[in-house]
Amino acid sequence: MGKNKNNLSRTTGRMRGWIQAGATLFSNIHLSNFFKGGIYQGGGKALCVPGLNCYSCPAASGACPIGAFQAVVGSSKFGFSYYITGFLILVGVLLGRFVCGFLCPFGWLQDLLHKIPGRKISTKKLKSLTYVKYAVLIGTVILLPALVTNDVGMGDPYFCKYICPQGVLEGALPLAAVDAGIRSALGTLFTRKLVVLVTVAVLSVVFYRPFCKWVCPLGAFYGLMNKVSLLGVEVDRGKCVSCGRCAKVCKMDVDITRAPNHGECIRCGKCVTVCPADALAYGCGFGSDEKEMKKETEK
Amino acid sequence: MKTKMKKMMMLAVAAVLMLSLAACSGKSSKEPGNLDEAVTMYQELMEQENEIFAKNKKLWEKVFMEADKGMTLQEDGKNYGEFLLDTIESAKDKFTEDELKTLKNGAEEIKKIEEKLTMLEEKYPEVAEKAKENGSTSCKDGSASVPADSGNMDEFPSFEGKDLEGKKVNSKKLFSGNKVTVVNFWFTTCKPCVGELKDLEALNKKLMKKGGEVVGVNAYTLDGDKKAIADAKKLLEKKGVSYKNIWFKSDSAAGKLTSGLYSFPTTYVIDSKGKVVGKPIVGSITSGEQKKALNDSIEQAMK
Repeated sequence: MGKNKNNLSRTTGRMRGWIQAGATLFSNIHLSNFFKGGIYQGGGKALCVPGLNCYSCPAASGACPIGAFQAVVGSSKFGFSYYITGFLILVGVLLGRFVCGFLCPFGWLQDLLHKIPGRKISTKKLKSLTYVKYAVLIGTVILLPALVTNDVGMGDPYFCKYICPQGVLEGALPLAAVDAGIRSALGTLFTRKLVVLVTVAVLSVVFYRPFCKWVCPLGAFYGLMNKVSLLGVEVDRGKCVSCGRCAKVCKMDVDITRAPNHGECIRCGKCVTVCPADALAYGCGFGSDEKEMKKETEK
Repeated sequence: MKTKMKKMMMLAVAAVLMLSLAACSGKSSKEPGNLDEAVTMYQELMEQENEIFAKNKKLWEKVFMEADKGMTLQEDGKNYGEFLLDTIESAKDKFTEDELKTLKNGAEEIKKIEEKLTMLEEKYPEVAEKAKENGSTSCKDGSASVPADSGNMDEFPSFEGKDLEGKKVNSKKLFSGNKVTVVNFWFTTCKPCVGELKDLEALNKKLMKKGGEVVGVNAYTLDGDKKAIADAKKLLEKKGVSYKNIWFKSDSAAGKLTSGLYSFPTTYVIDSKGKVVGKPIVGSITSGEQKKALNDSIEQAMK
């Protein structure tokens, strides 16, 4: 593994906060709409942003992939969301959960909330909860909108409607703040989802990224794609001294040396920056697993 | 130094305003001889009113925001200028003294203009519509002086449209033929919109007895999109909807209103003069509070 590659990986890891801020701004570029009221409805909305970012955010530059998926699959006009599935697979194959670590605005928010000082609790013992997000993906994003429909074949976007805290934060709150009509339309559904948002926010201070770990259907999908994504973290077995620092520092409870393509790894690069032996680096290419295997056998 | 400059500027602006208005009011104090003259006069007056707003746009927008919050709009037949004066008075702590002076002067002038406008309207009932047809940017036209927020719209934009069967529908005839017209904006794949179609049908039956009507506008069918119309018709039939659904050109004022909406369904209540009554109802009308708001507006329109 070249020294340059390792340096680049370390810099990327250290720059993460700025990249997250940039990605959030890029996903929500129409800032003036916050004051004007209303949302951007131009051509950009035909595309999805990679992270969880509400379509109804006044400033949003594109659509939310999870929202768009449900809207299409639940519509009476279409059977399945081919376009959005294709988009998700493309982004997944290229980046995997790198999106969670670097590009998702809601991930960034949780990162920031976690910086609030106070008692921090490890989520290692709550590992079984990480499977909940797969149920959320299959149940509320795919099956319920497609199957539970009314007499004219329309389903509800269950995840957006009942679960997503990002929708309240980016959509409901700013719109209601400037639009009296929307304000008067807020009801119990809004109250319930506000409770979800507050709960997630409070938990984010204590736990690291609770929403990403346990609930996010987008994280679940990219997690599956982590196994095949081009961008990944490569472990140089020849350099690794098995000190275990990487596993210890990982806030997503991943032991990168054992499972470099683990579904929970958000490619944040913490492990890369703490590795004393320069054994870890971002890698982008085909067959990184094979390379490793060869090295193993060479040994 | 800076504040002094500002004050000077304000005074200068106020002075120019007064002068220009004095000049204008002098011209329009003549009695119009026929309808055409009345129309030109009407337009002139409207322009003057717009100018007053345009000169201190930011200030007036602040006033409109205040009006939005508290007061009932001028449905009670109050002069618009008086309404503005009241609003300014109620929010006077939000402005500096100079700003108040500018605003009050403006409102006084508008009051005078409005009095003349009312006089013209009494003498020539069709003058307002004629003036608009001639293409002036009247302040009652919706977006000219009032902020873009559709909640503050006074008059529903006029349109030439067609129903889904292809019959022509003219907004003026439509509104003036009804004591109240409930216009519901929806689109075919919007679940809450489709969910309230039955309630709207029931409302239409009720209103028909009282001389009112519900009219649907399906956003997908604008510009007469044939496939969208077929889809909408199929759905309406399934839901047992018998009331009229219409479309118009998307580049018309009413079309722009439609594409500017970002919440569906949205429902407007319009009186026989074509004026929007109350605030548009955002979201489904089936829930308790929304239903009440709708019924209140309908009753107010029928008064």
